Amino acid sequence: MGKPTGFLEFSRELPTKRPVQERLHDYKEFIEKYTPHKLNQQAARCMDCGVPFCHSGCPLGNVIPEFNDAVYRQSWKEAYDILNSTNNFPEFTGRICPAPCESACVLGINQPAITIEEIEKHIIEIAFEKGFVKPVKPNVRTGKKVAIVGSGPAGLAAAAQLNSAGHSVTVFERDDAPGGLLRYGIPDFKLEKWVIDRRIALMEEEGIVFTSNSEVGVDVSVNDLLRQFHAILLTGGSTIPRDLLVPGRELKGIHFAMDFLKQQNKRVSGRWDKSSDPILATDKNVVVIGGGDTGSDCVGTSNRQGAKSVTQFELLPKPPENRTQMMPWPTYPMVLKISSSHEEGVERQWAVATKEFLGDGNGNLRALRIIELEWKMGEGSRAHFSEIAGSEKEIPCERALLAMGFLHPEHTGLIGDLAVELDDRGNVRASEKSYQTNIQKIFTAGDMRRGQSLVVWAISEGRECARKVDEFLMGYSLLETRDDNLIAI
Amino acid sequence: MLQADGQMKTARDIAIATLLGAEEWGIATAALIVEGCIMMRKCHMNTCPVGVATQDPELRKRFTGNADHVVNFFRLITQELREIMAELGFRTVSEMVGQVDYLETRDDITHWKYKNVDLGPVLYKEPTSMYTGLYNMETQDHGLDNILDWKLLEAAKPALEQGEHVKAEFPIRNTDRTTGTLLSNEISKKFKALGLPNDTLHFKFTGTAGQSFGAFNARGITLELEGDANDYFGKGLSGARLIAYPPKESIFVPEENIIIGNTSFYGATEGEAYIRGKAGERFCVRNSGAKVVVEGVGDHGCEYMTGGLAVVLGGTGRNFAAGMSGGIAYVYDVKGQFDANCNKEMVDLEVLTDEDLVVLRGMLTNHYEYTKSNVARFVLDDLENQARNFVKVFPRDYRKALELNKSKVAVKK
Repeated sequence: MGKPTGFLEFSRELPTKRPVQERLHDYKEFIEKYTPHKLNQQAARCMDCGVPFCHSGCPLGNVIPEFNDAVYRQSWKEAYDILNSTNNFPEFTGRICPAPCESACVLGINQPAITIEEIEKHIIEIAFEKGFVKPVKPNVRTGKKVAIVGSGPAGLAAAAQLNSAGHSVTVFERDDAPGGLLRYGIPDFKLEKWVIDRRIALMEEEGIVFTSNSEVGVDVSVNDLLRQFHAILLTGGSTIPRDLLVPGRELKGIHFAMDFLKQQNKRVSGRWDKSSDPILATDKNVVVIGGGDTGSDCVGTSNRQGAKSVTQFELLPKPPENRTQMMPWPTYPMVLKISSSHEEGVERQWAVATKEFLGDGNGNLRALRIIELEWKMGEGSRAHFSEIAGSEKEIPCERALLAMGFLHPEHTGLIGDLAVELDDRGNVRASEKSYQTNIQKIFTAGDMRRGQSLVVWAISEGRECARKVDEFLMGYSLLETRDDNLIAI
Repeated sequence: MLQADGQMKTARDIAIATLLGAEEWGIATAALIVEGCIMMRKCHMNTCPVGVATQDPELRKRFTGNADHVVNFFRLITQELREIMAELGFRTVSEMVGQVDYLETRDDITHWKYKNVDLGPVLYKEPTSMYTGLYNMETQDHGLDNILDWKLLEAAKPALEQGEHVKAEFPIRNTDRTTGTLLSNEISKKFKALGLPNDTLHFKFTGTAGQSFGAFNARGITLELEGDANDYFGKGLSGARLIAYPPKESIFVPEENIIIGNTSFYGATEGEAYIRGKAGERFCVRNSGAKVVVEGVGDHGCEYMTGGLAVVLGGTGRNFAAGMSGGIAYVYDVKGQFDANCNKEMVDLEVLTDEDLVVLRGMLTNHYEYTKSNVARFVLDDLENQARNFVKVFPRDYRKALELNKSKVAVKK
């Protein structure tokens, strides 16, 4: 809680950022740390609500008022213990989470919310500094073997939990290093990769085995998995991107955002194979099609690569600046977000659709033909759009990055071979209650089950699924769960 | 009239309460929430972030409530209640009260805690007869027309109208409750908080007083009781003087016997009292200004006291001064047992200062004058010596407040 009158005395302050001009020259994180004084002040703002809405805002059920109070009292080990009881990877969420906890913060009703995410980040970094973060080795091994396919946040969380329950976990990652989108998706300037390496090293010390460059369905056969492991977790993510199939799509210079971002991450970590085709924004007019977080990452990366210009298009109309009746507190507000990447330079346009990719005669992309849209509310509160006649424009562009969201996981390979059932959206079917697929020993969690979502949700899914797997293997489980249903009326 | 409340939020809650027998319904939390309460549970800290549970102007700025919303809320509840009544076939609420046979227990409860609960006794319908109905059909006769206070009021006329001194005597029994309260109401109607000059009215009673003897009595009244009294003696005392002593012909030792009941001087704000004998439990609970002398108390003496003065000329029970945040007590602790009996969470035990002795002497002098107490005589005659046997109970918060006051006064000078 901190100070009872803290919220009246101190206003919300985020740590300073390196100036735009400076940070465009490298791929390092640019958010500074709080001074101890500021950290204490920000933690003091927490009101320790009788009904803490932040708990339910957070997909992990983080026990926020308690760790805020511990930070205020400078009881660092206590803060770490509280945070660690619900979150396996606060160092990830503390950097990149959109903080639905802050959207649900009660103070947010009439004042800026508590800076929960920054406090979370400081708790874990201080914990690492002071050596509180130690590998958790189980006392007894159960002799059960679990295979986890996909080493993104869902797979990692499940691995950590299952290992702590005593099972022997092997994580299969098809890329050259574990981390999933954390490593090859999120740019370095949002999340530097030594943070992931630090955690993976801890997990390896705890006894978890990571095998990289092992794609299940290609390098490892599913039958081997089925035979050698008592349970299998599918946490391969939702990787099939949405495409824009308009005339000119085959022109050179149009790429999926993920290919672009992943390549840059590999370049930064020195793992990029120079022989493959580079996708660079340098000296090009870049258009990012898609106004979400992936698009924003493309903007930041393009600027760092020295793009000539960066434009971002979004299909939907410009979101409101503040909450509306449709998104009241404590829901997550779909309001206009100006990310750090936007601060670095971009021209944004809303309610536009790309009609055609125009070539230069040699098979290269030269421009986009766009048209403006008018959005109306239809019956049943479903919005629909119509094109505004005569608003067509040609936008010069040599590099188009498609960041329009992800549809569902890849169906060939792993999923095809296992023949697990899919739901209507193309994700692996499993209920939120059991995380179990139609094949008894196969479970799924994270984006692969719920479709594209947030890292914090992936971690939550990994934890909950781990508990279900533990129950499946042992008949009961002592692993934590977010909704402890002692009173089920 | 049965009033029910407790988390009533919708007309269904009210309908169920009515069917179970309620005719008045209390809705508190739901109405607060309509005005913006978010159940922070920090009301007691005076930091309500939505400006509801506070008078602090800074916090009040955040208040977003609207009286019209509250009115609308209740209108909607009554509207919904009408709909439910129509569904059930009732035309008036009176028809609905107590009709428990319109309630059905759920038969799909599987939770182990609730499965075996038998609601039979709750849903029992009392058979009605010609003489009793299920709902409030007649006003209750409280017998107020015949109480002793009317006689007091009659006798007090010269004082109320011309300010003359009045003295009168009455017998009293334990069915005579809240003696002097009705009279005090008349005084305060005419003279407001000031009341009458001290001792304008002097009534003497002989017998056993009922509950709440001298309750809320105003300044100007002196009630003298020869006999004993029930609980709530001097409740809410507002300036009057109360005196109590055992009958002159009694042969028991007064300072070893209880002559007034429990929770005496509950929330008293002003006035004096002199009790020749012991009091029961919770003596002077929540006293905020009355000055009282007594010769022994039971458990939890001076509980939650916030002001005033208590002089205890004898033993106390356990847990004395629990929650005492103000006022002072002087305890005559000849046996040296008081320390063990006192709850020292909020108070310090000290020796009497010279100022204390002056105050004590004054109180004891009064006590002897009004009750001829042997104890008072003994201590007064030997006060220099006996002072050593007194313990001053001084709440820490009170000490702080007094010092703050002193420094403010000093600054003013």
